[in-house]
Amino acid sequence: MQSLMRALAAFILLTHLSAAAEIQAQLDRESVPAGNGALLTVRIEGRAQPPVIPAVPNLIVNSRGQSTQMQMVNGMTSVSTTYTYAVGSNAPGDYVIPPIEAMVGNQKVASQPLKLKVLDSGAAQPPAGMAPTPPGMPQAAEEESGDAGEKRFGFLTVELADSERNHVYVGEIAPVRIRAWLPADSRANLRSGIQPEGKAFTLHNVSDQPQQTQEMRDGKRYLVVTWFGGISATKAGKFPASLSVNATVAVRDASAPKQPRRRMGGPFDDPFFDSVFDQMNAPMIQKDVTLKSDDQEIEVRALPTEGRPAGFTGAVGEFKFDRAEIPNRWKTGEPQQITAQLSGSGNFALMNAPELSPADPWKTYPGKDQFSAGDQASFSGSKLFRFSAVPRKGGAQEVSLAFSYFDPAKESYETIRSPVQKIEVTGEDLVEVETAAAPVVKEPEKKAAGLVGQHREMSRSGSLVPLVSRPEFPRILSLAGALGVLGGILAAWRNHRANPERLARRALEKATRQALDLAVRSAAAGEVSAYFGAARLALQHQLSGLWNQPAQAITLAEVQARLAPDSPVARFFQEADRHEYSRQGTGEVLPQWRALFDDAMASITPPTR
Amino acid sequence: MVSATPLEQANQLHQSGDFAAAASAYEAILQQGGPRASIYYNLGNSYQSLKKYGPAILAYERARVIDPRDPDLLANLALARKAVAVVEDVTIHPWVHAVVHYLSRNEWSWIVAGAALTLGGLGLACGVVRLPRRFSFAAAILASLLLGLGAGVLYLRKGESTHGVVLSENAAVRISPFEKADSIGTAAQGRVVKMGAKRGDFQYVEVPGSSLQGWLAAKDLARVLSP
Repeated sequence: MQSLMRALAAFILLTHLSAAAEIQAQLDRESVPAGNGALLTVRIEGRAQPPVIPAVPNLIVNSRGQSTQMQMVNGMTSVSTTYTYAVGSNAPGDYVIPPIEAMVGNQKVASQPLKLKVLDSGAAQPPAGMAPTPPGMPQAAEEESGDAGEKRFGFLTVELADSERNHVYVGEIAPVRIRAWLPADSRANLRSGIQPEGKAFTLHNVSDQPQQTQEMRDGKRYLVVTWFGGISATKAGKFPASLSVNATVAVRDASAPKQPRRRMGGPFDDPFFDSVFDQMNAPMIQKDVTLKSDDQEIEVRALPTEGRPAGFTGAVGEFKFDRAEIPNRWKTGEPQQITAQLSGSGNFALMNAPELSPADPWKTYPGKDQFSAGDQASFSGSKLFRFSAVPRKGGAQEVSLAFSYFDPAKESYETIRSPVQKIEVTGEDLVEVETAAAPVVKEPEKKAAGLVGQHREMSRSGSLVPLVSRPEFPRILSLAGALGVLGGILAAWRNHRANPERLARRALEKATRQALDLAVRSAAAGEVSAYFGAARLALQHQLSGLWNQPAQAITLAEVQARLAPDSPVARFFQEADRHEYSRQGTGEVLPQWRALFDDAMASITPPTR
Repeated sequence: MVSATPLEQANQLHQSGDFAAAASAYEAILQQGGPRASIYYNLGNSYQSLKKYGPAILAYERARVIDPRDPDLLANLALARKAVAVVEDVTIHPWVHAVVHYLSRNEWSWIVAGAALTLGGLGLACGVVRLPRRFSFAAAILASLLLGLGAGVLYLRKGESTHGVVLSENAAVRISPFEKADSIGTAAQGRVVKMGAKRGDFQYVEVPGSSLQGWLAAKDLARVLSP
């Protein structure tokens, strides 16, 4: 057990020692022209915070990324991180970069100071003295290798989805397949959308969710990200269809120095597998790049003038009528609505409403249209048109709707028609009348075609800020709420006032008060019989409220049935009955009768809160 | 002799083909007389005749805020959109969209306010007098339906207060609010975008119907609701 603990301690010590802190800083050249940059690499052994590059007046330092290498050799783990910077200045002179410091654990390490001579931008960079590219720094080579180096991080290809075509027509939205080719073992993060490099083409409706596949190309395996979209052009000619996308790509650095692999025995301990393990152990380098496609030229052909139908308005694609609704009965001069729906694939944005055929007896007005996409990229779909037409000639007619478009697949114009429909137009012909009566208005030459004319009446003043966004709106809602609450309070109060129980209770209290008043007055007047009658009535009213019975129904028998015979109420009822039947009309109302009555009232009167 | 009104003068300039002067005249009328649908409509026509489709669509959109059912306006707006291949972004069912946009947000707001006041008034009246039960029940149901419908429509259209229109051709949407920041795409002229925060000379925008969002130069767009 002790030997095992010693071995473990030795392992930890060795591992710790292997992570000894060290920092190395190096410039790839001693001098650069003003405006250019040298490559500064800072390599730190051990797990460290990023180094702090000291500020030097006029010296520009831009980070170019970092890579981390981890190796285990003979059980010892070593970690090193290489930070790369572009260093330069616009002001010629001799610059000294002070020691670069970094914290490795709790230990502060510092590099040697570095010197950089920035030459006048007109001077050629001296070939002599150029520091060789340091090992483990592929960026330097890559920086100078131009496009080939950029392509190491991936590239784009763009091709027409229809592989049999290498041309598009003006106004056509041609489906394209855009593919980003990334090295198979890379990691990529796109920082922008795909955009055309030039102005000849416009990119439309690029799919939001690209497909990912693995493909071989020129003997290399790539991760291929595929989007679908459409390109269109507005003028004829041959133009480069170049696209680009900004990405951050991390690839394995095959040029990094390879560590000899420790032979451990086993099935993979064969030199044949060295290249595989070297590839797996190669450090990652990361870079912000712009992936571009080659400037593949695509021919944009003008739409042919030959065979162009008179009703052609610019639609390019392939379309068909889904429906056409023309009313059967018309009257000259009175507009009615015509509905038509066309579906297919093509450039729906350039698609205008179909025309009535024959067109002469009609005057049509621009209407509304509504596009419904049939796929995610909006290449296919349907467009619904609603427009008004006014017949100018009366009589029975046969009409249909006609729509002309250019079919890029057939490379010819097509005119489709809805089924011919018989209609009846009543009223006089309007053509001559309209022509004669129409005021001669000089149309401006540059006026956009199809534009409905100016309004001549000043409409009433409005507000661009709707009521809902104005401060009055919450006040109106508060007022409405307050009215409702007030109404609720009033209704509750009214219900409370009209409550029958409450009214009955109040009537009972009133009757009791009146009986008591009469009893007091009778006692003062010495009317014994009247006193007992009024006092008993007061008790009856009180008991009727308690027992929910009419006051007249509460007799001595009822009281004795519900209360104890010696209770004050029963005793008072007995005394009252005795005086009633004795016919003793006047005399003194004895104090003990009053006391008995007070006790009786107290025993049945609920305590006040 | 009766002198021509400013509107007549502006219309004459338009008729004569001097669209730039007509646009200036319409702008002056709006400055002096406040927002009017007819003037925004005429202004949009002048800009469209100048092939300035971004400002034209902005003017039409402003006219539509006030008068959403003017057929001339809708026809010319559709023409302008066609010219720059811009399609209105419809995210809800077309039938629902037609109902929701048949009235302006202002009109829907008044419906909500009127329905709320009717409900409050009914409550107060019921507190004061005894209304016929059938009448008060029917009125309360109708007002509640209108209130719910109007509130729902206003909720669906709440984003319109942030709408802006791209004025320039190929306006670059950048990743950061700086002139030299990388462009991540372009927003088409006349495209309606959602406007967010403003930083310096740049405005954060989201282009509906696409994943494009970033910073657009403030001079390249204008908010629909604040002339």
